[in-house]
This record gives sequence, C-alpha cells and structure tokens, in this order.
Amino acid sequence: MSTNKFTEGRLAQAALDRRTFVRGAVATALLAPLGGALAGCAVPSGGGGGGTAAGEMSADNPFGLVEDADVEAVIFNGGYGFDYVEFAAEEAKKQFPDVTFEVSPSTQIAQELQPRFVGGNPPDLIDNSGAGSIGFNTIADQLEELDDVFEASNYEGTTIADTLYPSVKDPGTYNGRFVALNYVMTVYAVWYSASLFDQNGWAAPATWQEAIDLGAEAQKADKKLFVWGKEAATYYQTMALDSAIKEGGDEVRLALENLEPNAWSHDAMQGVLEALHEIVQKGYFVPGGAGTQFTAAQARWSNDQDALLYPSGGWIENEMKDATAADFQMTGFPTPTVSDSSALPYEAVRAGAGEPFIVPSAAANPAGGKEVLRAMLSAEAATNFSETRLAPTIVRGIVPDDGFGSTALVSQTGMLDAAGENIFNYQFVDYYGLNADQLVVWNAFLSGELDVKGVTDGLQKISDDVAGDDSVEKIEVS
Amino acid sequence: MSGTSTPAAPRGATQPAAADRPGNTPRPVRRRRRRQISLDKASFFAVALFLPLTVYVIFVISPFVQAVYFSMTDWSGFTADMAFVGLDNFVRLLGDDKFLRAAMNSALLAVVVPTVTIVIAIGVATMVTVGGSTTGGVRGLRGAGFYRVISFFPYCVPAIVIGLVWAQVYDPSRGLLNGVLTGIGLDGMTDFPWLGDPRTAMGASMFVIVWSFIGFYTVLFVAAIKGVPGEIYEAARLDGASRFRTAVSITVPLIRDNVRTAWIYLGIAAIDSFVYMQAMNPGGGPGYSTFVISQDLYQTAFAKGQFGYATAMGVVLALVTLLFAGAVFLVDRITGGRDDVRGHA
Repeated sequence: MSTNKFTEGRLAQAALDRRTFVRGAVATALLAPLGGALAGCAVPSGGGGGGTAAGEMSADNPFGLVEDADVEAVIFNGGYGFDYVEFAAEEAKKQFPDVTFEVSPSTQIAQELQPRFVGGNPPDLIDNSGAGSIGFNTIADQLEELDDVFEASNYEGTTIADTLYPSVKDPGTYNGRFVALNYVMTVYAVWYSASLFDQNGWAAPATWQEAIDLGAEAQKADKKLFVWGKEAATYYQTMALDSAIKEGGDEVRLALENLEPNAWSHDAMQGVLEALHEIVQKGYFVPGGAGTQFTAAQARWSNDQDALLYPSGGWIENEMKDATAADFQMTGFPTPTVSDSSALPYEAVRAGAGEPFIVPSAAANPAGGKEVLRAMLSAEAATNFSETRLAPTIVRGIVPDDGFGSTALVSQTGMLDAAGENIFNYQFVDYYGLNADQLVVWNAFLSGELDVKGVTDGLQKISDDVAGDDSVEKIEVS
Repeated sequence: MSGTSTPAAPRGATQPAAADRPGNTPRPVRRRRRRQISLDKASFFAVALFLPLTVYVIFVISPFVQAVYFSMTDWSGFTADMAFVGLDNFVRLLGDDKFLRAAMNSALLAVVVPTVTIVIAIGVATMVTVGGSTTGGVRGLRGAGFYRVISFFPYCVPAIVIGLVWAQVYDPSRGLLNGVLTGIGLDGMTDFPWLGDPRTAMGASMFVIVWSFIGFYTVLFVAAIKGVPGEIYEAARLDGASRFRTAVSITVPLIRDNVRTAWIYLGIAAIDSFVYMQAMNPGGGPGYSTFVISQDLYQTAFAKGQFGYATAMGVVLALVTLLFAGAVFLVDRITGGRDDVRGHA
C-alpha cells in the first residue's frame, strides 16, 4: 500500500512497472529453492520423547516410575475444575516423595496440545475433554493402552479393576485398544426441583403424553415445560436418542451408531420427535433459546424456575451451583418413553463414564501419567472428587446414602441402582464430532422452524455425510 | 510485500542473483547497475536489506509456503505423518455446502461492513470538522471534540469483549435491547432472539462489527480532512454548496486514498470476523446464517482433526482476501482514482 503515491503520474508509473518486474524476478529466484527447503522443514520430524529409562517394576510401583522423574499432567479446566487431579498428585507424591508432579489447567486442549503432539513431546497425562477436545479418531493409535492401570493394585492394596463399575472400559476402547480412562460416572436424565413439584402436586412424567399434560399444568402456573440455550440445544437430542433407544431397543442404537441410512426415521425416533414437536408447537418451551447463552437459559430453570424440566448430564448440579434457587431440591428422573410397552423399561438410563484421561505413547514419562491415574482411583482421591464435585466417579461404593448432602447425587445413585442391567451408552456424536452440525438443526427445530420431517432429514444428512466420507475412519459398533 | 522491499530491493537483490546465474537476468539492466562493491556498501546491504529480507522470508513467506503444502495433504494435525493428496482438498471444498455457505457469508460481510462503516465514519468526520455553523470560518459542530472522543470509545474495547457484551445485549429475555423495546411498548419484541432468528442474526452481527470500527475510521477521516486546505471548503461554501454536496463533491474526492485504504483494511477484517462471530454465535448462527470461513476452518481443524482440509480453507480465505484487495484497486482505478483532484493540482 505504500506504493499508492508512486502510482500517480505516468512517469512514476513506468518506473514502477520495471521495478515490479525486477522484484518479481528476484522473488521467484529466491523462492524456488527456498520453497522446496521450507516445505521440507514443514514436515515435522516427530519422534523425540518416549523411551526414557524405566524404573524397577514392583507391586508398589507397578508402572516402573523412576524415583526422581518429572510428571506433567494437563487437565481440562471445565465443569469439574482441575484441582481434583492436584489432590490425586499429592496422594501420589506420598508414595513417591522424590517425583515432581506438575498439574496444569487448560480450557483448549486441542489448540494447546496440537503442536506438542506433532513435535513428539506431549504431556504424560491429559484430560481430553471439553468443547476443544481432540477427536479420538485422530489420536487413538498414539496412546498408551491402559489395561495395566486396571490390573494394578490401588493405594489400599485392592486390585483396581475390582473397585470399579462394570463396563467402564467400553467408552475408552477404540478398535479393541483401551486407551482412554473415563473417570467420572455420568448419568443422563431429566432434572427438576422436587420441592417445587411437591408444592404444586406435580409428578415426574413417565411418558411423552404425561409430559405434554404436565406442560399444560405448567402453562396454568405461568411457567413453561422446558428451556434451552443455543450452545446446548443438542441436550434435547440426547434426551430424544435416549427415549428412542428405550422405546425401540438396541436396533435403534446400533443403526444410529453405525451411521446407517434412515436410522433417524425409525418409528421409535419419529415417535419422540413427534412428541417434542407437539411440545414446541404448544409453546411449552421458553421462547428465544436459539439466541440465548446456555448457562443463562439454565439459570431460568434452576434460579428463576420459569421452566420445570431440563435434560442434562449429572454435571448440571455442579455447573449451576452458583445459580440455583435456595430451596431447589435438584432431582433427576429417567427420560420419558414413547409408549407403555417400550423395549427397555422406564427405569433404563443412559449412563457412562466420561472425562477421558489419556497417556500419549510419545510422552516423556508415560509411567508417571499412569501413576497419577492410579492415585486418582484410590479411595481417598475418589472420595475427594465426589464430595467436592457432587458427582460419582467410576469407583464404586464411594458415595454415602446422604450423597454428601446433595439430592442430585442421591438421585443419580438411585437411578443407577434402579436401572440395574438396563444401562446403555452411545458415542457416535462425540466420536465423529457431529455436535456442532447437529446444534444448528436442533436450534431450528426447537425454535419451530423445522417440522419433524425437516429435523429428521437434517440429522440424517449429517450422518450420511460422515458415512460417505472415505477420509473418516469408522468404528463398527455391535 | 511492498512494505519492506521497496526502493532498495531491486538494485541490491539483482546483484547476487546476476552473479550466481549469469544470463538469467536481462542484460541491459545488469550492465547499467554494475559498480564497485565497497565494504561500506556491502555492510549497508547486509543490514538494511538482507537482514529484513531474511526475517521476512522466515516469518512471512515460509508460513505461506507451508500452508500451501499442508493444504495438499491429508494431515490430521496430531501426528507427524501426512500423505500428499494434490488438489483433492480443493475439489472437495467446491462440493462442501457448509463451506460454500460460509464463503457466501464472508463475501456478504466484505461488501456490507466496509460500505456502511465508511459512509457513517465519513458522515461523522465531516460533521466534526467542516459541518458546523454556516457563518464565520469553516469548522465542526459545537462540541465536536466531545463527539470525536465518544465515537472512538468502542475501538478501545477488545473485539472479544465487544462480542460477549453484545451477545448479552441481544439476549431474548434479559437483554438490554428487548428490555428497551418492550419498555417503549413494542410487545412483539418480547423474547425476540436477535441472534437466534435467521432473519436478524446476520444483520445484528454486522451491526456489532460496524459499531466497533466506526470510531477508528472516523479519526482516520478526520485527520485526512484536516489535511485539505480550508480555502477549498470556503470557496465551495461561497459558491453555495450544501453540506451534503460539499461532502460528496469535495471531501470524498480529496480523501480518496484514505477511503481506499480504509476499504481494504475493513474488508480484510470483515472477511475474517472470526472473533465477533465466535463470541456471539459459536455454532454459526441459526441455519448457518452467520457462519464464516474462519469458523469453518477452526471447527474442521480442531473439532474434526482435519488440518489438511482446514488449511485448504485457509488458502482459499487468503485468495479471497487478495482478490478483494485487487477488486478494490480495480474499482478505484476504473472510477478514475488515478486522476483525482490532487493529481491535477
């Protein structure tokens, strides 16, 4: 832009033409060889890290942690914070006084750690969670298998695998390799204030028809049935998927997880979408959700009590701790079913371990990463987590009957017990990173801009696009 | 590029090139430029030319070259491995509905945001410099200094803060905007989602971007207008020109260079607009109505782990930006930018 002045007048113009030409020639001459060299540099060398000297393995030191090693953990600093890992690191420090444990928070896991993965020096332990998490289909084969963590004994002397809920390995197993240890047990449910319901003589709805009737009751009390926020519109998708899987059983779940054509058109799914559409049409949603920030929307439920129900995971109590009305006895109930004759009983819930912790193979000290995991699975650290975060971990028998004074925590344990064998889970949304695209469809549907056919087509197209994309590695679910 | 390598570049840089590969450069140029190289001159070249050129090549040119290379790979972003796939990524972009939608939105922003911002900024700049009383000397409105300071305020606030604050202002139920609108009796605006309705989301977002830039460009144009001799305005006024006529026929032609510069800077900012859009509608807005290329790039890279494909988007974004700058120069030239008032003076 500094050439502007030179462009005025024909004489200057002629001079510029020659100058531009020469400059161009020089640039080309310079860039031709340099370009090749630089493109060569651009390919990262990788390697590095890994293969550090291992310590002696023993019962007390199952991963062979070197006595004076440095261990680095990067923890997603979201709904659960990160200091619970610092607590665990201190427990580990008691076992290994000479090891230096460093725990640092991050809210942008993928952005911050991407260059370190490429450079071959990732941290020893990562909590790969949050909106900026790294897609597992891109890194699964660069991670340590964590079976030996389950086989080791904890700080109390019990084999760790014996202290955990069943099937907690499943969500972290990719192509047969168990590479992500999901620490927090998450129950997906619909949440309400038990005290508010008692006052008004309302009951938690077990079917969608009952939910619609409750919406009419809410209308009389000048309240709405549901509320949503733009970044969390897909919580309603989670609720719809749970309900459809309960109605139609495993065939619905497998069709969706394997990205089959017309999976979203299954009768069970259509039944749920019809019911939700009716709720939207009747105006039982707090309007304007597509333009509302999700925590602000959640506060209208937990603090203002403008809406009766909110579908979410067990983290909701901790997330809204500072914006919950005083006498709000937060309680969860299983997602309503379409009919009385659903394939799975009403008590069935989606529950699964979440908050995946990973140990990269290229890390300087994978043994240290595993040792922190072992510490996190000790009774001491697990109790600390449940007590301060009001959420269950994958370690069983930690939460007392009073749920550390949390009604939400009590109801989570209650739902898990009532569901028994009827606990299911699915991962295709996270695995293929579909959430961002699905949000757009759900915001439109909940705003009333899309009908049932519109939302079905929109969601099916997102599944079909991934199914037809050869560059995306698929996981077969059975 | 022109910034660092102007006047000295051709002379200094042809020297080694000519020595290295005789015959490659045009002969007459070489012969005319051949002179004794003294230590003095060599050290001058080293410090004033090769040092900045090296820095420039390392930090500006090489990332460009790398980006072009990565855009032709299937790099996932989290390994050192990648395969060369040629132009596949670019072919794929052409069939990617979401990307094309984002490109359309970016193009819309590139047209609307600079136009609106510049018109308003010139209006404000005119009023505070030459739009005052029609008697006495040419001067701005009363309290012009106050308006100048006030209009600059938004520019002092970081873009991310502006985005977050306005997202709250637009909140359907608690936002300031709907509060004011319902307060003055517009009950239809109760719970209206400004950023959640496909009809208003883009307009509301554009308003915020324009709002944040007006102050700076007002100051830029004020400085430019101050450089115009007051006699010209006095003469126009003696001839009976209205304020509007003065602005269109005198001010704009005389500050043409500044307007063109403003247009390019604003266009580049608008084509990007990542910060504003991400703060107000991280998901791309209702029906992708505010989704821009930079957001698509970010999602593709970090959420989907497709860095190669995302880099291809980045290369397209860079090309679009270059095309935009070229288009502005072209339009400027066609509309007579070379023979403006000062050119003849």
